[in-house]
Amino acid sequence: MSRFRPEIERYAAARVAANARVHGLSGSAEYDDEVRDRAVFSVEAGLSFFHTHAEGVGLILFFGSTLVASAVPWRRARAALYLAFTVGALFPLGYLVYGAAVLAAGRDAGIELAERWVLTPLGGAAIVGLVGLALALAVRGKME
Amino acid sequence: MSPDSRPPLQWRLPPVPVLLTAVVLIVCAEVGGASMVRFKLELTRWARQAMLERPGTHGLVGVRDVDERVLDEALVKFDAGLRLFHLHAEGMGLVIIATATVAATLAGSPASRRPIIALLTVGGAGYPLGYLLWSGLIPYYGPDRGKTIAEWLVWIPFGGATIVALWWLAGLVAWQMVRRERA
Repeated sequence: MSRFRPEIERYAAARVAANARVHGLSGSAEYDDEVRDRAVFSVEAGLSFFHTHAEGVGLILFFGSTLVASAVPWRRARAALYLAFTVGALFPLGYLVYGAAVLAAGRDAGIELAERWVLTPLGGAAIVGLVGLALALAVRGKME
Repeated sequence: MSPDSRPPLQWRLPPVPVLLTAVVLIVCAEVGGASMVRFKLELTRWARQAMLERPGTHGLVGVRDVDERVLDEALVKFDAGLRLFHLHAEGMGLVIIATATVAATLAGSPASRRPIIALLTVGGAGYPLGYLLWSGLIPYYGPDRGKTIAEWLVWIPFGGATIVALWWLAGLVAWQMVRRERA
């Protein structure tokens, strides 16, 4: 992302220009520049969020699933938590979709699409897994 | 002793309440992050309204150009506090799990193991809440005064507890290494 920043910016700007209708470009240079800058900024934000979340979510789910393996004694509960964590692990990819959707569908519509259909369900799965792990630990704590 | 001749290390789980605290903290981080995105507009509106109701606190003078800049700056800090809570709660949750596991495994004596794990857990779980407190105080007391309150109430005591526990643990591990080398 750092190395190819100018190329990414050029590509994003070209895609916005090619998709003038969905981005609401008007033909007025001043207005169009602002729209294009905001769209390019959102694409870069998506890539940057992908980078930070892929690092963070990877670590959280690595530790979370290690705790599941070590501290959850019930086989079906473990399987359900692994499933939720595995789906949740795909959450950062939602930010790549976010960047691509901004270019394809326009800034607001693209962000809405990525949040509603990708980030919310995948992030929800990770949260469900973590809440399930917390409940399993609470039950195990009571049993001890 | 060469690494091959050492007996394999058997990792020990920290007590369940410690793990539960860490996982709940991570859940709070994730829910906080999601809420921050979902309710961004509502949160910004609330903070802005609360600041407009306290012009003296924020140095608002009634001149739109000046006031908007002050409000924008405070809102950026309000948002930053929420983001930092999200980041630190995730990070400190992992720090609690990792360091408490090291302490449970390597601190042999309960006299040192228990206080280290207690300090790591309490310090790690409390510290990120300071960012939430800071954000919540900004509309009422301004960014600087809010930060001072959060520092004294949360960051210094809880962050200090974590730092003390980490140095204690590091010293203990170093001491064990020296003893093992001598043996």
